[in-house]
Parts: sequence; structure tokens; C-alpha cells
Amino acid sequence: MLKGCLYLARRWWQRKRLLKQPFLDLPIVVIDLELTGLDAKQNEIVSAAWVKMEAGRIQLASSAHLINAEVNDLAQSPIYHGICADDMQKGVPTKQLASALAEVMHNAIVVFHHSYLDMAFIRVLFHQYQYVGQPVLILDTMQIERKRLLSQGFELGQDSLTLDACRTRYGLPQYTGHHALTDAVATAELLLAQCHKIGQLNELKFQRLV
Amino acid sequence: MSCEIQDIVQFVGALPPFNQLPASASEYFTNHLEIIYLSTENQHDWLQSNKPQLYLVRSGHFDLVNGKGELITRLASGDYFGYPSLLTGDAIQNRLSVQSAGIVYVLSQVDFDYLRREYKAFEQYFVRAHANRLLSSHYKQTSDSWTERRIAELMTRTAVTLEPEASIRDAAKAMSEARVSSIMITQSDKLIGVITDRDLRNRVLAAEVSPEESVLSVMTHKPKYIFENNRVFSALHLMLKHNIHHLPVLDEDRKPLGMITSTDLLRQQKSDPVQLIGRLYKAESVVLLKRLAAEIPDLLKSFSNNIDDISLMGKLLSGLSDALTSRLIQLFQEEFGNAPCDFAWICFGSQAREEQTLHSDQDNGLVLPNTITPEQRDYFARMGQYVCDHLHDCGIVHCPGNIMASNPECRGSAAQWQHRFAKWITEPTPGAMLNCKIYFDIRFIDGCRELYSEMMTGLAKISRNDLFYAAMATDINANTVPIGLFNQFKLEKTRTSNRYLDLKKRGVVIINDIARLYALRAGIARSNTLERLEALSKHSLISKKDLFDLKDCWRFLTQLRLRTQINQEGLPGNCINPEDLSSLEKHQLKEAFYLVKQAQQACAFKFARGSL
Repeated sequence: MLKGCLYLARRWWQRKRLLKQPFLDLPIVVIDLELTGLDAKQNEIVSAAWVKMEAGRIQLASSAHLINAEVNDLAQSPIYHGICADDMQKGVPTKQLASALAEVMHNAIVVFHHSYLDMAFIRVLFHQYQYVGQPVLILDTMQIERKRLLSQGFELGQDSLTLDACRTRYGLPQYTGHHALTDAVATAELLLAQCHKIGQLNELKFQRLV
Repeated sequence: MSCEIQDIVQFVGALPPFNQLPASASEYFTNHLEIIYLSTENQHDWLQSNKPQLYLVRSGHFDLVNGKGELITRLASGDYFGYPSLLTGDAIQNRLSVQSAGIVYVLSQVDFDYLRREYKAFEQYFVRAHANRLLSSHYKQTSDSWTERRIAELMTRTAVTLEPEASIRDAAKAMSEARVSSIMITQSDKLIGVITDRDLRNRVLAAEVSPEESVLSVMTHKPKYIFENNRVFSALHLMLKHNIHHLPVLDEDRKPLGMITSTDLLRQQKSDPVQLIGRLYKAESVVLLKRLAAEIPDLLKSFSNNIDDISLMGKLLSGLSDALTSRLIQLFQEEFGNAPCDFAWICFGSQAREEQTLHSDQDNGLVLPNTITPEQRDYFARMGQYVCDHLHDCGIVHCPGNIMASNPECRGSAAQWQHRFAKWITEPTPGAMLNCKIYFDIRFIDGCRELYSEMMTGLAKISRNDLFYAAMATDINANTVPIGLFNQFKLEKTRTSNRYLDLKKRGVVIINDIARLYALRAGIARSNTLERLEALSKHSLISKKDLFDLKDCWRFLTQLRLRTQINQEGLPGNCINPEDLSSLEKHQLKEAFYLVKQAQQACAFKFARGSL
């Protein structure tokens, strides 16, 4: 019990200190998952991809893309992510995917576009294999965008926060398809565009982004 | 641990040099990229000498500026930069200036060098691109005076040639038929001699040589010649040096292409528009004037290719119209006697603003003394009719709204004019507003300047009226900028369903209106929009930055508009289809419209207290 409290307190303190750090000073991991559906309890992860970013530079050499070879039911999802049973043969066991993801996420600053959805799946996944992959900070480009739009008095429509819609708003190029790695890079670019828009990039601290 | 991002691989693979290289090259490139977002926030952090890198633009627009602040090139999607220092190891002198933020791919020196080693075509591409850029920046420094143009651009006539067996008579006949003053004698496509008009006179007629003799006996052997790719300057030099008036032009294989004459060169010189204005002022008859006026459209077309600031065109055309008008007034007086009293010929609208185009119609009038008698009025009625009709024949068509000195309403005394203006100002109906927009741009052209100044002083007094300003501001805001939600163009449609943007009505006109309103408020007695905006910088009505933006927008829109006027198809005048624009131009156009919209709104707040 006491141990649990101490752990939470330490994490709280760690986070607080982190929020005061400049955005450009720390490495960041941008992650995207392709899923078979929207329910973390029933649906599965089809693929996971991530790319690292340091000092405002998205490093493609550090990118990774793993397909889950053990998806039980793809259902209708290939329409979105384009990964079919054939591609799954090139994949890795779910356990390996989970361990790689846990390794890259642990004690890292991670970014998603719609973190609630992806994190729900990741928690289920880690719980299943008893892995620890606790990020120190989770950023969400969707929430950043929502905050920005609301503060400008925009009416939010149903589709105004999709990755594509957000990117269009910043004049970013249109990427084709929903490939986890492409989307991870697309999310990373969106984050950069958002930070530039907020302004005073060199002094921008993480607390402006949560 | 990395893998390809299909979208980037495809983008890179379609670009030179990768489109000539195996797929493995674009994959290597993609896998080793770093992606940055380049905006005004971080534009100074890149292109650092201590870390040369290759940059590739994916989106956005960036200006590459050299150490002296001159624009080298404008970079858009698919353009590389930063490679010169990768190749030479020299320090970087160029800077970036972000026009619109975007994504840029960055490749390190190590990876660039790897690709150079692995793929010869990759290395060649960048070495060549480097050489070209050096060349183009050097080329820009040399001015484009007409003497530096290539001979081929001036030479239009095809070669008139004869075999050496021909007689002198044959030569004279051939020259007469082709209406040329010289002929080339060729043997199996090689130039061997030239005969000119002067040779026929001096070497044949005066020397009493029989016309039946061979051309060989009288032609100039081994004549001087010039190649089509030489500069006009060289031709001029040769002619002056050897005192000759005809110079055969050969292609690279020494095959005769035609003849360039001293008259051709003279014509080049004459096509200077300023000289045409001079000749208009000296024209001795209406017929001659009309003949000179007929040269204007061609002259402008050739001239428009040679100038950078196309807004000069409006000034030039207005200058030509002024010259035509003045000369016609003088010719009228020579024919029908001098004017019985003082008068001032004035112009309105586009001519007054000095932004006439080839399609502009006449807008003019006469200011007469308050003491004028009915007989004197008759004289000016005839003058108005004479000048307006002849201007029409010279290509400046009658005004459909009848704003012309041939209309009695536009031939008022200073008091009558003021009365007309006062009525519009105190009763700002939509019709009156329309009149104000035309009549408040006034410029003096000929006659007695005091009369004009007198009218303008009176006008300045009566136009000082806040209600009038408010009505003008409201009117300006009734015209909307064609930018819709999400920064998209709002296009109009023709009956044949061509979609277009009206650059004049939706852009230039609004800026003109805004400039006019502020100028009236500040009491600036100018009509040219740029001059009005310039003069406004001495007043505190509008900020310097806003003035600068408005001037910039005006220049950009005018330039685009005049350019489309010269090459348009199937669209109403002054209109463009934005799909025909480059992505950079589209972006600039949106930016321009956005700034116009802001100025429009500012104007409403200032003069109409926002009550729209």
C-alpha cells in the first residue's frame, strides 16, 4: 500500500518536473496502431508502428513497423488498414509485438493521435503478458487540436478531428492509406506543425501540449 | 530497425534523379531521412555551414535568398536545396525565408555521400543542378536590353536566294517580288555573295552594266555574315564597323536563314514606348495619329515580355492616351481656331488612376470657367465631339456610361461640377456611389491647370463629410472577396460553365476603392492607387504595415490580371481559372485576397463604425 503511494507520488513529481522542460530538449516516440475495431475488450491490434523524434527532427531511421501474426479475426478491418491474411505471415507473435512496444514506451514521452483508444488496447495487451511499459507522459495531437479549435471558437464537427482533417488544416501533404507507420509519421508531422503554430518554439514547454 | 513509408518512397521515386535510379536508391534515401517542419519559427536553424545537409521540400513554399538579400529561387514541393555546400564544402551564404510553412526532408552528408558513391546518376544530377544555378544567377545580372537579344528573335523574313547562274535582271525581279532590298547568292546552300539595292544603283545602272550579265560580276563577294545565335549587339557592331546595312544570317551549319537589315535594328530601337509617346506628340495629322495608335497593342505585347514590373503597363498606356488626347486637342484648335477661353481637359477612372488596359474605355470631361457664354459652349461641344470620336478611332472606345466630354453633362463650369459632386455626396444612393467611384479619380490632362486646381479645391471642401465616408465604406464592404470557408476559392461560373475568379472586380477594384476612401479622408489629391497608398504613409489613418500589404496585393493582382489579359481563353476579361495557376501562385492569391478582406473590414470599422 505504502509502496503504491510512494510510486504514484514519485510519478506525479516526475511528470510535474517534465512539464517544465522545453519541448525540443527531450526525445519523443510517436506511435500508431491499426485495429480490427474500436472496442479494446473485443477487438485486436493488427499492427503497431512508431517513429522517434528528437529536437524537432523525425528520424525515419528509427522507425519500426510490426504486424501481429496472431490476429484471430480481421473481420472487415482490412478495408481500412489494408493488411490481409497474407501480410500477417510476415508478422511477429503478439507477445513479441507487446514486448517491443513495452520496451519503446517505458519511461518515454509518447504521442498518439487519439491516445484514449490506442492506450486502451495497449493496456489490455500489456496486462495479458504482464509487461510494464509505463510512459512518463502521453501527448495526444487530437486533444491539442481540440483545445486549439475550441479556444478559437470553432464548432467541432464529427470529422473535424480526424488525422486527415487536422493535417489539412495545417496544409500538410495528403498521405494515402492507413498504414500504421505512415500514420505515425503523419502524427509526428502534425505535432510539429501544431507546435510551430503555438509559436515561440524554442521556449515551448510540454505543459502547453497537455 | 526501419522500414519504408510507401508514400514517401513514391514521392521521392517520382522526382529526378531518383526516377532514373533503381528503387533501392529511393528506399535508401527514404530510410535515412529526417523530417522537419520548417516555419518562420525555425527558419534560421537550418542551412548551417557547420552541418551541410541535403534538403528536399515536401510541402510549403520557401524563398532562397543570397547573402545580399536577393532572391535566388523560390522553392516548392519537389525542390532540393543545400546541395552546393555538400558538393563544394564551401560555407553556406544563402538564407531561407519561409513563405508558407511546410514539411522538409533532410539527408545528412554521410548518406548523401553514400548515394553519390553508389549511383553515378545521382552525383551527376546534383553537380549539374549546382552548375545551372551558378549560371542562372550569373545570367540574371546581365540586363535584357534589346541589343543582348539573339538575332533569331528579330529576324522574321525567310531567306531570299539565287543561284550564281542568274542574271542581274533575275536578281532585281526576285527582290522586287519578295519586297526585299537585298538578295543572297548561294551555291549548294553555301553563301557566296550578296546584292543590295545600292549595288543595283552603283554597280549596274551608274556603271552602265548590262542587266543580262551574271550576278557574279556585281555582287559583293565573301560578304560579312552573322549567326542566328549571335547577339543583336554583334550585328550592330559589324554593320557600323563595315558601314553595311544588310547582314546575312546563317545557322550553325552555315546555311543562309535570312537577312537582318539596319532597318530591322532601327525598328527595335523605335519600339521603345517612350519614343512612341514622343512621336504621338509630334504627329501632324489625325490620320498619322491613328496610324501610330494602331501600333500600340503590338508594342505593348512585345514590351510586356521585357519588363519585370508589369504595373508599368498601366502607366504607359495612360501616358499614350494622354499624348493622344493632348495632340487631338491641339489638332482641333489648329483646324477650328484657338479656344475662346480657358478650359481644362480632365480624365476620370482608370486613365486617371494610370492603370488603363487595352480594353479600357474613355472617361473624360471638360472644366470650363464660370463666366462661360453659350457661344463659347458651342465651341467646346465641337471640341468634345471631335476628340472623343477620334480617340474612339484610335482604339480607346467610347464610354458606355457616356462619361465623355462629348456629353453636355461632362462639360460643366467649375461651379456646375461642384454642384454635381455635392449632390452625390449629400445623397449617397447606390447610383451616386457608383458615380463617386469613377469621378473621384480625376487627373488633369491639358488646358489651363488653374481651372482644374480651382475645381479640386472646391471638391476637397465638400467631400469632407463623415456620412459620405460611411456610405463609401459600406459600399466597399458590399463587394466580397472570393475566399470561402476553409480558405477555398469561391468561383463564379460562365454560361458555358467555365469556372473563374474575377481578379478585377473582386480584388483590384476593392483595393482601389479603399485607397480612394482613405485618400479622400486624408485630403490627398492623387488618383494613382500606389501613389495614394504611398502618400498615406505620411498620415496616421492606416498603419505602415497595412499600407505595405495593400501595395503588395495590388501589384500582385494587377500583374496576374494583365498577364491573363494577354493569354486568356474562353473566360470573361480580367478573369482567371485558379486551376491554371501554380500552387505557389494559388497560395499567394489566397493570401492577397485574405489581406484585402482584412483591409475591407478595417475600413468598415474606421468609417462606418462597423455598422454594416
